[in-house]
Amino acid sequence: MNLFALLLVIAAVAYAFAKFFKLPSVPVLIGAGMLMSLVGLVPDELGIGKSEGSMNMLELGLVFLVFASGVEMNPRRFGKFNKAVLWVSGVQFFLALSAGFVFARWMGVETLEAIYVGGGLAASSTLVVLRHLQARKAMFEPYGRVVTGVLLVQDVALVLLIVMLSRVDGGGWDVGKGLLEVLLLGGVAWVAQRFVIPKLVFKFKPDEENLLLWLVAVLLGFVGVASWLQLPLIVGAFAGGFVFSAFPLNGLVRGQLSSLVDFFHAMFFVALGALVGVPEWELWAQAAVYSVVVILITPPLVALVAEWKGLSARAAIETGLLLAQTSEYSLLLGLSGVVLGHVSQEMFSVLALTTVMTMVMTPILGREEVANFLLPFHPLRKKSKPVETPKGHVLILGFGSAGMWTVKPLLAQGEEVVVVDDDAAVCRALAGKNIAFIRGDGAEVEVLEKAGARDAKLVIASMRRVGDALTVLRHVKGVPVLARVFEHQDAERIKAAGGIPIMNSEAAAETFMAWLEGSGKITNPES
Amino acid sequence: MDVGFLQSLGIIAVSAALMVGLGRLIRMPAIVVYLLCGILLGPVTGWVEVGDGLSLVSEFGIALLLFLVGLELSLDKIKDVGKVAIYAGIGQVLFTAAGGYVLCWMLGFGAMEALFLATALTFSSTVVVVKLLDEKGELNSLYGRIAVGIFLVQDMVVILILTFLAGMGKGGNAAEVDIWVVVMGLVKAFGGMILLMVLSLLASKYLLPKPFKWAARSPEVLLVWAISWCFLMVFAAHEFGLSLEIGAFLAGMSLAQLPYNENLRRRVHPLMNLFIAVFFVMLGVKVDASGALTNWWPTLALSLFVLIGNPLIFMVIIGKMGYGRKTAFLTSVTVAQISEFSFIFAGMGVAMGLIGTDVLSITAMVGVITIAISSYMIIYNHPLYAWMLKAGWLKWKFLDGKPEITDRIVHAGEHLEGHVIVVGMNTLGRELVRRLVAKGEDVLAVDTDPAKLEGLPGKKLLGSVGYLTVLEEAGYARAKLIVSALQIEETNDLIAYRAKSVGVVCAIHVVDLSVVENLLDLETDYLMVSKVDGVKAQLAKLREMEVLR
Repeated sequence: MNLFALLLVIAAVAYAFAKFFKLPSVPVLIGAGMLMSLVGLVPDELGIGKSEGSMNMLELGLVFLVFASGVEMNPRRFGKFNKAVLWVSGVQFFLALSAGFVFARWMGVETLEAIYVGGGLAASSTLVVLRHLQARKAMFEPYGRVVTGVLLVQDVALVLLIVMLSRVDGGGWDVGKGLLEVLLLGGVAWVAQRFVIPKLVFKFKPDEENLLLWLVAVLLGFVGVASWLQLPLIVGAFAGGFVFSAFPLNGLVRGQLSSLVDFFHAMFFVALGALVGVPEWELWAQAAVYSVVVILITPPLVALVAEWKGLSARAAIETGLLLAQTSEYSLLLGLSGVVLGHVSQEMFSVLALTTVMTMVMTPILGREEVANFLLPFHPLRKKSKPVETPKGHVLILGFGSAGMWTVKPLLAQGEEVVVVDDDAAVCRALAGKNIAFIRGDGAEVEVLEKAGARDAKLVIASMRRVGDALTVLRHVKGVPVLARVFEHQDAERIKAAGGIPIMNSEAAAETFMAWLEGSGKITNPES
Repeated sequence: MDVGFLQSLGIIAVSAALMVGLGRLIRMPAIVVYLLCGILLGPVTGWVEVGDGLSLVSEFGIALLLFLVGLELSLDKIKDVGKVAIYAGIGQVLFTAAGGYVLCWMLGFGAMEALFLATALTFSSTVVVVKLLDEKGELNSLYGRIAVGIFLVQDMVVILILTFLAGMGKGGNAAEVDIWVVVMGLVKAFGGMILLMVLSLLASKYLLPKPFKWAARSPEVLLVWAISWCFLMVFAAHEFGLSLEIGAFLAGMSLAQLPYNENLRRRVHPLMNLFIAVFFVMLGVKVDASGALTNWWPTLALSLFVLIGNPLIFMVIIGKMGYGRKTAFLTSVTVAQISEFSFIFAGMGVAMGLIGTDVLSITAMVGVITIAISSYMIIYNHPLYAWMLKAGWLKWKFLDGKPEITDRIVHAGEHLEGHVIVVGMNTLGRELVRRLVAKGEDVLAVDTDPAKLEGLPGKKLLGSVGYLTVLEEAGYARAKLIVSALQIEETNDLIAYRAKSVGVVCAIHVVDLSVVENLLDLETDYLMVSKVDGVKAQLAKLREMEVLR
């Protein structure tokens, strides 16, 4: 119990640090655990392969964390980007794994251990990236959907890799048998997800306490089956989570699960850091090299494939940058390698350090400025044909699904309208309607120049990000710029930059109130 | 990795889930189901054994349960019951011990065995009662607060007795008592208790409010900080030789004054529920019924004494202290069981060679019987009271004319009906709250960030709607409209689903057109498509600027 008091207190300090410096919590928690070992606070009961109560509790934490990933395994989250997700994740995972493997071999690592290194470097962190996307309110943006999808596919790929590597000592037949068993377990989970658990939940309507009990029963039931099949425990945990991944079950359990996940997240990663300890400086250097490999390989690979599959150049670059870190699953892969004797304690430390380093870099790499800086270097960036630069026109940046509402009346009264959008489908539709357009990113200066932004009569910035509208405002001084925003503080920024903000939120509130009054749901009509 | 622990936990979880389902058919309280499940998995089948991991999980459960009690009961709420808790707690210990001793003597037990059994009968189970009162939502009722106060006093008596036994053990011979060890143990425990109480009071006033205000804007930080504080206090209590219950309770109490205590309670609840279920199952696993079956008659007699005698003693003490009939009855029902401490106490007696294993076995069986039956008594305490009153069994003169105090803490949405719930205090949410309040609507604003609720008119509730309890507290089934301004697809879908399941009209913010299909599938009544409304506002602006005519 005292050990957990200590782990939690250290986690509390680490969280404060992470919150204050706006860093992802995982690397800070691991770092705090390393510091804990540096000052000699790690008790003997904490150690890989030990079976004391403390380690039991951490195992429980581990299966809960993996279970939570399984609950998020809902393909609906990809939206319409299924193809892009599969292509990006497939190419990125395979090539990054290969590159990591080759690089590790070049560094003198044994073949089997090098596969672990490659796998570890190929996966990106669901925990870190999803939080980053949520903080930037980018979950609905095309690159947000693609990134989410890629992360989920990577999680599955890494689970399969863990299974294959756990059976590699038994030869090809054993590996194949392991994959078949995973398929079987996945099949059972799918049947439970589609036909069993939802029906039981709606028939018995368990309260939150009982639902939690069901959840734990399913989780540990699958872990038990995985253990019986001699598969890694996390395979069972992931399959158990998948059982609850469909709506509305995932929504019903998410609240209960979030408390458990937050608690185990804090404890597990501090303990992991404590287990790793503070490695020798040579290992830090190796980790730095691997971190550079991740940061140099993942973004270009992803950016090329993502743009090829329809994302704009900037969205593709942002997707790549956001995936440029190793994952918590990389640590599980490494840990499983240590337990099996495939991975040395030193290499596990290198993987842990690489994870810490690359995760710390994510908030920096994920900044819009970095993507904007890299944009001119994108080799596949579509060069638009030179056209005559328009003047005195209305320039619409970002057409979206409601753009026609603005364009139609403008055209009807004889205004010259030029639309800038990076979506190929939108551009095809515009061409079909004979509306002038430029395919590109409205926040790119080059595109703005081509669209004659400075000579426009009016600019309507309908891009998703406020930062984009501010870029436009900086470029087109003196031209009136309308920008639609949601939050008050964004409206203030637009105003301060000389723009005219249109508040989506206020407009929505206005329309809602009209609906409410019209629908007769207001009980005090006299007021 | 050691899978023994996870396998045991899996067997517990699967069995408990199945048995809770069956138990619901006969309205069996979950605690009783867990105990029976433990007996089935331990003494009957031997599928689960007590291990380090499971013991640790149980301890976590107890600590978190008492932490929740502390969060519910701030100092203000329990200081008015301090006097009755001390008098009733100590009075009950003395009378039950004396009555129990006489009964054991009459049942033919030797002096030492009678002393141990009688002492074991005096402790009531804080964990059982608090869990049941929490389930009933009556922890902060008057009788709930008196009960919690009494149990804390009893915990101190337990410490006193265990310290005394430890002193006997240190003497090397059971008949010898090392007075020095006893005195030092007591000084340390009571000194520690005072120190921790002062520390928690000072912390609640000066140390915790500011940092927790900062942490409260991030739910996971708030949770980890609160639990860390809990385990820090548990650690401190342990160092002073106090029970982990006391440390966890004081930790909770020192956070109870903060405005985020309800939010914290909801977030800690799932953790507590998971761990405490293991505790109750393990209680059943530990039961050794063989000795009790041979001594079935004393087991039955002692169980009846606890189930009937203990509440009677309490009724008298609490009634004499000026409380009304109903309060006295409801409080008394809570002490009709013995505690897990009773098992530990009897176990120490066996280890020291003072009593035989039969006594430990009887204690354990009395524990299971009284916990099971008293769970029913507590869950159905109001109907039981009405029935006994009607039967004329509570017509005691000294209870006549005593006032009944039935105060409860009222939650944000408890008395609301026909109100509007607005979830998510971004600009849209805040705008909607202001406009609805201006229209004279009864509005309840909900958000996870306390800063976003500041300065809003109407009622406010801090919490995540991902927890059903938050919506329940908001009185969502009685609301006339639920509006979500959130930009989180999964949570919006869940709100639409919940609203539809109770037949309440709902309006959901559509942050992206890709989510419309799901919301229409969920039969959402109104979709706030802010982007489209923004475009309309933009057209209006173009007309105002005379770009459009």
